[in-house]
Amino acid sequence: MTSDVTLYHWEPNANSGKPMLTMVEKGLSFNSHYIDLLAFDQHKPEYLAINPMGTIPAMTHGGRLLNESTAMMEYVEEAFPGPAMMPEDAVDRWRVRWWMKFLDQWLCPSFSMIGWSLFIGPQVRERDPEELKAAIERIPLPERRIAWRKAIYGLFSEEELAESRRRVDFGIGKLEEALAKREYLGSSQYTLADINLFNSAYGLPSMQPDDVNDEKTPNLMRWLRAVARRPAVRETWTYSRVPRFAERILPLIEEAA
Amino acid sequence: MTMTLYHGEPVGPSLTVLAALFESGLETDLVRIDLGLAERHGGAIPLGFEANYSVEGEGPVLVVDGEALVDSVFIGCLFDDLAPECGLRPTDPYARWEMMAWCRWMIERLAPGAAALANLAWTTPRLAALDDASFAARIAPIEADDLRARWAQTRAGILSDDHRAASEARVHEAAKKIDDRLADRQWIMGEFSLADLESYAWLAPMRALLPAAFEDKPRLAVWLARVAGRPSVVRAAELARSADPVGSFAPGPEINRWG
Ligand SMILES: N[C@@H](CCC(=O)N[C@@H](CS)C(=O)NCC(=O)O)C(=O)O
Repeated sequence: MTSDVTLYHWEPNANSGKPMLTMVEKGLSFNSHYIDLLAFDQHKPEYLAINPMGTIPAMTHGGRLLNESTAMMEYVEEAFPGPAMMPEDAVDRWRVRWWMKFLDQWLCPSFSMIGWSLFIGPQVRERDPEELKAAIERIPLPERRIAWRKAIYGLFSEEELAESRRRVDFGIGKLEEALAKREYLGSSQYTLADINLFNSAYGLPSMQPDDVNDEKTPNLMRWLRAVARRPAVRETWTYSRVPRFAERILPLIEEAA
Repeated sequence: MTMTLYHGEPVGPSLTVLAALFESGLETDLVRIDLGLAERHGGAIPLGFEANYSVEGEGPVLVVDGEALVDSVFIGCLFDDLAPECGLRPTDPYARWEMMAWCRWMIERLAPGAAALANLAWTTPRLAALDDASFAARIAPIEADDLRARWAQTRAGILSDDHRAASEARVHEAAKKIDDRLADRQWIMGEFSLADLESYAWLAPMRALLPAAFEDKPRLAVWLARVAGRPSVVRAAELARSADPVGSFAPGPEINRWG
């Protein structure tokens, strides 16, 4: 590929999926560089040279580095041609940004905490204890070090998991209300906020079928199918290497098609 | 478009938004409320879901044609969208990315720490002086459970040792980050921007609480004075009613629960 854009990403979901889906929606070609989160690729010196925070995703455009997935999405939107992924109206734009912050800092960390306690931790825990200890020591951000320690050693308190579950249940209700009010999240068009949400919410119907379904959350389901139907979503999933993630989204994509 | 800005004393997010407004040259009605006594929830402001669940906590509210907008950086972006020549954001996409990523760092890492320390020092005594019934009546209308819980913790003066240590570490980190950044420039983005306001609004009050974080940082000291002297910031500061508005904080963003 001849693109001067390279995306360093893990699975095409959550934070990695945000800039990736934005790039594909804009029709931007990029070099894909898969960083295996479960192998701690993100803390290796080669990657820290690119993103000293040791978090995924990161991208380079020419010689310039970008991290922080939501800010990256806005960059991709502004720096490249293609369909507009932000609304025209200033208040709609405010609402899109508000939702992205609410997702990034309030709702998705709760999804993430539950996911890490159920999946990431158990997956990694089996490895050599000394190796894991060393791996944790190498994590640059103190918050991420704490997160990994909790996931690996199962140190989440019942209280914090309960609060995360409360936020997820509450968030599902609020998303349903928001999507009943407007066709997309925060505006009447498909925007970065929808990309942001979809990357964390696509698994809800399969993981929480009692809470997210056509009866209880018809608008959320309508919206999930509308986004899943987009060719760009299908394309991003060709970058997946962990079957367990793909298995959660493919039924939704098939069903929506 | 009719706009009313409900703001507190010019400190923290209210300072950012007031100064950003004056930078933009846009017109709004200004209505003062006491954020530290939960007046935001007193019924006069048409709070919607977004305002009730603002990650920023108790910041100012901009009502635009009946809709309540919150979160100071995004209100600043809105002003910039409405008055694109005002310079609150750079025009180059990469510089804009850098500014948004910078502000995100301040919002996510500095603000929760600074708010925790400021509230413990200044808001806790204010709330502790209220009798139980009056405090309960003030916080009863607050919709978000976690925000209401932060009010109760603030009144009780609860801050764990871990959270205090993390909060102080963040103030130190932010002070260093800004001082380092200023090695080759006068403003954080080179030119003045919203990033200066947001960083200043959270960091400057910490001088009174954590002076050690400011020691031996000459560039930071000059920048603090430069921001304070910016006409928009001077104008915002003139709106103060208290002798030292630094004491007028209100429960802010929560300390991150997850990485
Ligand atoms: N605020 C950052 C967060 C990035 C982040 O924490 N990503 C997670 C994966 S979704 C990560 O890198 N985890 C790796 C680790 O903690 O070692 C962003 O939005 O890009």
